[in-house]
Amino acid sequence: MTLAVEATELRRTFRTTTGTVRRTRKDVEAVKGISFHIEQGELFGLLGPNGAGKTTTIKMLITLLLPTSGSARVLGHDVVADTREVRRRIGYVFGGDRGLYERLSARDNLRYFSELYGVPPRTQATRIDELLELVGLTERDRERVEGYSRGMRQRLHIARGLLHDPDVLFLDEPSIGIDPVGARELRATIGNLVEMGKTVLLTTHYMFEADELCDRIAVIREGEIVAEGTPAQLKGRVSGGRVVEVETYGVLEETVAEVGTVAGIRSVAVEERGQQQVLIIQCERDAEVTQAVLARLGDVRVGRVTAREPTLEDAYVELVTGS
Amino acid sequence: MTSLRIFFIGGLMSYRAMFGWLNPWILVPSLIVSPICQILLFAYIGRSAGVGNDEFYVIGNALNYAAIPCLFAMGATIGGEREGHTLGIVLVTPARRIPLFLGRALPVIANGWGVAMVGVLAGVLLLDVHVPSGSWPAILLVVVVTSASCTGLGLAMGAVALRVRESAVLGNVLFCVLLVFCGVNVALDDLPGWMATVGSWLPLTHGIAAARLLADDSSLGDVTGLVTREIGVGAIYTVLGLALLRFFEGESRRRASLDRT
Repeated sequence: MTLAVEATELRRTFRTTTGTVRRTRKDVEAVKGISFHIEQGELFGLLGPNGAGKTTTIKMLITLLLPTSGSARVLGHDVVADTREVRRRIGYVFGGDRGLYERLSARDNLRYFSELYGVPPRTQATRIDELLELVGLTERDRERVEGYSRGMRQRLHIARGLLHDPDVLFLDEPSIGIDPVGARELRATIGNLVEMGKTVLLTTHYMFEADELCDRIAVIREGEIVAEGTPAQLKGRVSGGRVVEVETYGVLEETVAEVGTVAGIRSVAVEERGQQQVLIIQCERDAEVTQAVLARLGDVRVGRVTAREPTLEDAYVELVTGS
Repeated sequence: MTSLRIFFIGGLMSYRAMFGWLNPWILVPSLIVSPICQILLFAYIGRSAGVGNDEFYVIGNALNYAAIPCLFAMGATIGGEREGHTLGIVLVTPARRIPLFLGRALPVIANGWGVAMVGVLAGVLLLDVHVPSGSWPAILLVVVVTSASCTGLGLAMGAVALRVRESAVLGNVLFCVLLVFCGVNVALDDLPGWMATVGSWLPLTHGIAAARLLADDSSLGDVTGLVTREIGVGAIYTVLGLALLRFFEGESRRRASLDRT
């Protein structure tokens, strides 16, 4: 069977310039020769921190950007040579509340894109009704989008991406900024898409979302894929260890770096929770690190100290921090 | 069929979507009040200086003001999409680009025509300019042609919005160029030779000249040459605009220029 997506040594370099009179040029390598494939009907997650190259990769796959080198095919069609064929078969949805015609209603937004995707006029109204129902916007379909909440806009984005019944759907951080209820509904919608036989490439920052939805995940860091596998396989990379969480108040970066030097510690990440900075310490399973960590923290005010099993998020943090 | 629907229905919806950046309650009065003010300004300058006549200024400035929607609305249908982050989504669709972008010109031409005719009618009512009743159908036609040719220039300007965000600034510059070089308030014969030559390659120039002759009781047959040249100039800018759209879309894929300021 033809692969849904196939990227081979995909690379993209951007040239940036600074200054007006004395212009300085600099080449930035956003994607550094990555290779991966997605089977038809698979939900593939591309995870990575901001600036890792996720969106650049998606933009190359959806024909918005030309690769500097390497190649990519979507359902067997080259993204450089067969752009129209690729565009017919893909849907593209990105996160955030922009990318819609504010003064048009949801229905008119969908009507416009139906025309651009060549949805036959006879089936257009029915298709739009189905999609509005799918994303739960039927009741407010004739209201202008400018009055929509972020969650409603995001659901409308999904409906737009599905208008022409694409085989492959690219979802670039679709749940960003959505409240927990909206995000849960969105995950259910994405789950339904896979049940319908769609192939989905999803980028997200939310690990539980990736864990719940994705068949396979690639973690991208600084333009390179640093790990690929099922969520269970990725979790397995840190399952030989243990996670200690230490609540601190006003810890300095230098102190965190010192904590990282304690024997048995693999990595330390800091998570801001209100006034607290929680140190998430990945360590060897049998290593007793608590006393040594508290000693390194010195005068820093410390709250609770807890230990737990690693999650996908821990695996992700370990991968993207390069430890 | 798909391309025809994109041309007509898509073009109209895109025009409606343009109001995403400008409230119609501001836009519509500005397209009525502003041209009338410009007409009155130059007509009274002409009267106080004792040069020209009201009809000269009414026709010139009314048609000149058609350039506002023709330039800015065309620029906005592309530049506004860029601001609203819809441009990338539109460019990812398989829609053919010629009907996609030319369809957007159709309502803009109607808009430009409406603005120019409001100006002419205001001149008739407020300044008592006489236009022979038999000349009106031909004037209506010439104004359509002039709006269309001006929209060709707007298309070329809109294409630039694929590369830079400041297309509206460019619109101001072009409007000023048209005001000075197209014989709007100073007849082409009274301009230096190089300015008249530049004017003859710009939209509006031949349309304004034709409309003035029609208002002086000439027949459509008398102005066929001018109308043909106006159509020719408009066609050149339309083809240039489509070529630029193709080029800048390619550039946006090569250089990621849609993401830049």
